[in-house]
Amino acid sequence: MAGPRDLTTAVLRFGRMLRAAGLPLTTGELMDGVRALAVVDLLDRRDVYLALRTTLVARQEEFPAFDRCFEAFWRFQAEEGQGLDGLLTPTEPAIPEEHAGNTGAEAAQKKVSVALEGWEEQGDDDGEPLEVPGVSDKEILMDQDFSTFPVEDLDEVARLTILIARRLARRISRRKRPTRRGGVIDLRRSIRANLMKGEIIELRRRERRRRKIRLVLLCDVSGSMDLYSRFLLQFLYALQNVFGRVETFTFSTRLTRVTEHLKGASYRQALAKLTEVRDFSGGTRIGESLQEFNARWGRLVDRHTIVIVLSDGWDTGEPEVLATEMLAIKRKAGRLIWPNPLLGNPSYEPLTRGMAAALPLVDHFAAAHNLASLRDLAGHLNLR
Amino acid sequence: MRAEIQKIQQMMEAADYVTDPAIATSVHLAMTLKKPLLIEGHAGVGKTEIAKVMARMLETNLIRLQCYEGLDAAQALYEWNYPKQLLHIKLEESTTHTLREKEAAIFSEPFLIRRPLLQAISQVGKAPVLLIDEVDRADEEFEAFLLEVLSEFQVTIPEIGTVKTAHPPYVILTSNRVRELSDALRRRCLYLWIDFPGFDKEVRIVMRKVPGVNEALAREIARFMESLRTIRLAKVPGVAETLDWAQALASLHADHLDEEVVLETLGCVLKDADDVKRFKRELTASGLKRFAAAEG
Repeated sequence: MAGPRDLTTAVLRFGRMLRAAGLPLTTGELMDGVRALAVVDLLDRRDVYLALRTTLVARQEEFPAFDRCFEAFWRFQAEEGQGLDGLLTPTEPAIPEEHAGNTGAEAAQKKVSVALEGWEEQGDDDGEPLEVPGVSDKEILMDQDFSTFPVEDLDEVARLTILIARRLARRISRRKRPTRRGGVIDLRRSIRANLMKGEIIELRRRERRRRKIRLVLLCDVSGSMDLYSRFLLQFLYALQNVFGRVETFTFSTRLTRVTEHLKGASYRQALAKLTEVRDFSGGTRIGESLQEFNARWGRLVDRHTIVIVLSDGWDTGEPEVLATEMLAIKRKAGRLIWPNPLLGNPSYEPLTRGMAAALPLVDHFAAAHNLASLRDLAGHLNLR
Repeated sequence: MRAEIQKIQQMMEAADYVTDPAIATSVHLAMTLKKPLLIEGHAGVGKTEIAKVMARMLETNLIRLQCYEGLDAAQALYEWNYPKQLLHIKLEESTTHTLREKEAAIFSEPFLIRRPLLQAISQVGKAPVLLIDEVDRADEEFEAFLLEVLSEFQVTIPEIGTVKTAHPPYVILTSNRVRELSDALRRRCLYLWIDFPGFDKEVRIVMRKVPGVNEALAREIARFMESLRTIRLAKVPGVAETLDWAQALASLHADHLDEEVVLETLGCVLKDADDVKRFKRELTASGLKRFAAAEG
């Protein structure tokens, strides 16, 4: 029988495996896991499973990863021909992969390795008048389509994107919105202020608390859209402190939630995930992707949410599906914005069937092909 | 299975709550580890019920905080009784008490309204069960506040002082996932996901809760609900709907499902006009058999 110390080691090892599989476990949770095993039947596999799942998992979406790890951990033990004592053997099973082999996508990713790392931390440039290109030699840069930059310049353009976003972020958060006069009455302070007067003569008020706007981003990462998605994402993530929450999804033929991947330390590594889902053979199925979004993630959208769909509108699916799903989003969202990089081309008209179906439902149809258009887009990130 | 967990399962069943090992284990851990338990799942699968059953099992009282948009600390923790304070000031008008005395008088215990969180913290005797219902409806700021209260179990009221708990409450949080909860809160809690019940469990629930239904009908109902939940619906019916429906069928003295009786009582199960349309389309296309297919 495993002693308490050995159990701790085992749980910590299992925890390492879970972390590698993407569960952001805290030490507190691991300690709870150890305590939980002390109050269940260690010889009953289901007891152990449920005890660890209850303590270590924090959302339903983590169940599959947990199950895979538990299965691997346990099978490994069984192969060793041991009971729970086997948890203590020094070798570790490999982390089960959901899908292996992304070398193709990885290579494609390298081609446009835009540096996104580190910008989040270095936000202390307050007060310093940041010269973001006005009318200068950089004006050309502002108006140049992202896809026409040579690969070696992309890092520089990315840096500039972040600078603009930061400056905008300061401006947005300082912006005072007209309040309803006086806000709400603060009874607590009113009573105190009128204590000697016998009745309330002078009302104290406080400003009504405002909700932060939330963003939901749905980015097309198929083919040529990938580059634009990167710049938009980069831009909006630099703005994220202004918003209550930013949720990010990518789609080509299917939808992937990448919010969790974009959090945390290694941003560059995380961005690789954006291309991982790309399907080179098929076209974009916007309608089906939005359908999946509505079915699984619709709860993220409410009237305090701005939904941004970045795509060129080349949909190989049914336009009716796209229209239905766009309508479902529009009904719930505070605002629906569709940036389309093709709008940068003066001769472009939104005539694709998908675009034509979606357009009447969009609150704001914008370009997103260069720095200037991203800057303009920020002006529309509010709720009326 | 550990004897304690088995016992909890028995006690829950005795309290008319049809349960399974996952639920019983979570409740057992919540009680022994004294950690808040976050329960998620679709509407109507019996999340709130767990707190009630737990309070009954522990023979303690249940304190419930219903969350809603705009809920703030004053409504959740404590508030001063303003009308009473005003009245008191008025009555004191002609007295010679000093400002300090007047102030001390109106900011004292009798003028304090204890809201659920303060009630739970200041409970004397036995630790209560604190149910924080639909926490996803509250704002993110409230969530942060809650996190603070749940980790300290103490509250400072500037006019009175610090209230610290003698018996930390058992905390149950429920969420319908209207909004994604913060990782900080999630990782602080034990976690339980309650799915729609499987076929056998739903049969047991119907038999237990609706006495007028025989086993054959209960099985038909459960089968029907199981296949109904596989259609894409705007409002997927939960166990509450199953029970409403079973009750309706029982009072109509139906002993099996046919098209007529299903259509008659459909309102118990589907509560969205589009869903009803979609269901009727399926029904005309493939008949009731699609929903009441033979078992096995």
